[in-house]
Amino acid sequence: MPDLYHALTLFLLLNLGAGLWRVVRGPTAADRMLAAQLFGTTAVAILLVLAQAGGVAALRDVALVFALLAAVAAVAFVRRAWPQPEDEHDRP
Amino acid sequence: MTGPDYLAALLLLAGALFFLAGTLGLLRFPDVYTRLHALTKADNVGLGLIVLGLSLQSGSWLVAGKLILIWLLVLLAGASVSHLIARGARLRGIPEWRR
Amino acid sequence: MQSRNPLRAALPLPRLLAFALVWWLISEGAAASWSIGVPAVLLASWLSARLLPPQRLTPSGLLRFLGFFLLHSLLGAVDVAQRAFRPARPLNPGMIDYSLQLGPGLPRVFMLNVVSLLPGTLSADLEADCLRVHVLDADQDNPAQLAQLEARVAGLFGLTLP
Repeated sequence: MPDLYHALTLFLLLNLGAGLWRVVRGPTAADRMLAAQLFGTTAVAILLVLAQAGGVAALRDVALVFALLAAVAAVAFVRRAWPQPEDEHDRP
Repeated sequence: MTGPDYLAALLLLAGALFFLAGTLGLLRFPDVYTRLHALTKADNVGLGLIVLGLSLQSGSWLVAGKLILIWLLVLLAGASVSHLIARGARLRGIPEWRR
Repeated sequence: MQSRNPLRAALPLPRLLAFALVWWLISEGAAASWSIGVPAVLLASWLSARLLPPQRLTPSGLLRFLGFFLLHSLLGAVDVAQRAFRPARPLNPGMIDYSLQLGPGLPRVFMLNVVSLLPGTLSADLEADCLRVHVLDADQDNPAQLAQLEARVAGLFGLTLP
């Protein structure tokens, strides 16, 4: 079982890395924001597997906080950091 | 490895497969809306299967309950965030891909 | 009438039980954590009762909804996954309008979120009673599936649709 946990962690990490290509590539801001979703689920999965593999219960709390923060970050991004549609239409 | 171990391993591997599908969809699908479909849905089910597998392995109802709680939280966050992104993309006139 | 009693109205028992359960799970049953847990549960129950009036959930509706949700999540995820894996990338997305029967409030918000979670559909916008849904496969009978889902959500909240 420990080997499986470590292989799974590595696999999920590679998944996360591959997904980052979309963040770099875009092409729209919305595509980059998908990173929040990707990190939210994949990082939680990695942390939960590591918690079980190492018997570190505290990592489950980290996963919990990660899930919360990913949601807050995404909402803040959509509401604040994404240029409002009016800005684009206002330009001549 | 015993019977439950094999079942847990199977669930974990199936979960990993859905994560791979989510990432493939994220890279291959043609627009932000279809990518949202791939990413949120496949990853949510992938996480659900991994949570199930880990719950079996934890051997504790408390830990299993906590894992499911975390999964529900991720689901709730994912639903709200994907709605916000889709709505924001529409408001800003990002076109949909049509076959 | 439950709301006659001011204490029961400020701290509804179902909320107290639900938040206590959440705390018990989060702390993984650590007995010492209740010194923080009890005030946190009381505060959360009080706040939630102020922000959201008590809801009527039906147990049988909950079970039926859970079964429906889990089954369709899995089926839909398999569907999305095979579209992602197949070299031809078979997609036929579209945008459809669906007029909601559920009234405004928590059931409707719940419906919106579940539409986004169930594979194949993504709630993109809501104008008045019209839900704009982005679908992955426009060839499927999406309105019928949405109507089925809406009936399950209504059942969960003990409502009957007109």
